[in-house]
Amino acid sequence: MAGAEAHIVDCGANNLASVVNAFRAAGAKPRIVKTPEEVRAADRLVLPGVGSAAHAAAHLKSTGIGEALTDRVRRQGHPMLAICVGMQVLLERLREHGDTAGLGWIPGEVVPLRELLAKSTRVPHMGWTTVSPTPSLANVLGKVRGAPTYFFCHSFTVATPRRDAIAATIDLGAEIVAALRFDTVFGTQFHPERSHMNGQRLIEAFLDWSP
Amino acid sequence: MPFKRVIASLLLRKDRLVKGTHFATYRDAGDPKATVRMLAAQGIDEIVLADIDAARDRRLPDIEGISAVATDCNVPLTIGGGIVSTDIAAACLERGADKIMVTSGAIDRPALVDELARRFGSQAVVVGIDVVEGDGTTFLYDHRSAARHPGMTWQHWTTEVVARGAGEIRICAVSREGTRTGLDLALHDSAAGAVDVPVVIEGGAGVLSHLDAAFAHGVEALAIGTMVTFSDNNIFKIKEYLASRGHAVRRMGKA
Repeated sequence: MAGAEAHIVDCGANNLASVVNAFRAAGAKPRIVKTPEEVRAADRLVLPGVGSAAHAAAHLKSTGIGEALTDRVRRQGHPMLAICVGMQVLLERLREHGDTAGLGWIPGEVVPLRELLAKSTRVPHMGWTTVSPTPSLANVLGKVRGAPTYFFCHSFTVATPRRDAIAATIDLGAEIVAALRFDTVFGTQFHPERSHMNGQRLIEAFLDWSP
Repeated sequence: MPFKRVIASLLLRKDRLVKGTHFATYRDAGDPKATVRMLAAQGIDEIVLADIDAARDRRLPDIEGISAVATDCNVPLTIGGGIVSTDIAAACLERGADKIMVTSGAIDRPALVDELARRFGSQAVVVGIDVVEGDGTTFLYDHRSAARHPGMTWQHWTTEVVARGAGEIRICAVSREGTRTGLDLALHDSAAGAVDVPVVIEGGAGVLSHLDAAFAHGVEALAIGTMVTFSDNNIFKIKEYLASRGHAVRRMGKA
């Protein structure tokens, strides 16, 4: 939706500039939110993130932003796009370097890709990979033309027993979750903000999404 | 599996792009913002932008210049040159870089690689390794002194930086850089065989058949400089050619 506001959450270590630029290019009015109060006033939320999920989760908890997101998205049903580490923090358990608790919005854990992939497959998974969407993703990816190919850059992945929440997968020799969708949450392991026109169309679709 | 990657390697000097031969004799290669926009529209997979004077002059990278380029870039952007601390890296990432490339800064202080990986994750840390040929063998090269590294082999350095947390290796054959004599596939194989992170080979690609040969050989990612700055080859044509040769590459409007 052109001119739609999108509230992009600053959760410490992230690539805010890329996300802001990408939302602007998609016709939205991006606003950066840094406090629980701003989160509680936001309509359409974006939780980006790069780096360490444990680090991001700690920031969300210590600032109260995590609790505000839970109120706004889980209790009040506002839509949220969670990108990469922003999606990973939503799981129950983050098995990165040590073992920490995530926000627990969905059962499952974040695990090293190295545990799941053949020795000959290089990690991080780095580059452009075509995702296989499940039917539940169809309305979110509806605007994407051609093959749904996106940029990935990650060493960890989410694993969830909620098969119904898996919106897209990729084949790296093992099946890896590329996107999650549950209730009013849409999460991507890939980076729509760096995925050229396919990414822009996905952002446009998120701006139009009324879950 | 990811598509095979074609990466543009761009050199920034003040507010212009330049291109040289053997890391010297630089010529003007255009406006960075316009070039990045054009390359993205043609289907480049990633862009590496290195501030070439920053390390040599021991100054910080041009953060404002990088920020201006990043605003217009909707494909992944790696920034290199003059990154000697995690705070400088953070400034680059906040302004729009997705990955950080360190070369001489890591040689001076190897713990920088550990610090970057711990703070930003391995996926954001690329280590550039420059290799020069001589006396029938290959050496780790230091571009600041334009000389071989006195005490360490490039092979040892490659495995060490990965152990320290590097998530990607960009290995550059300096002896071929700007010469259009073809990528050094033996060099690629030694590096790729030694580590289990992605490896990008750079240096020497001059004509389309060099890219075909590299991908046919098993290369997963390559960087081109001369071919994107001084030639008629646009990225769209390069990708169409590579696809016609049977390589899995991402093409605009198709995949």
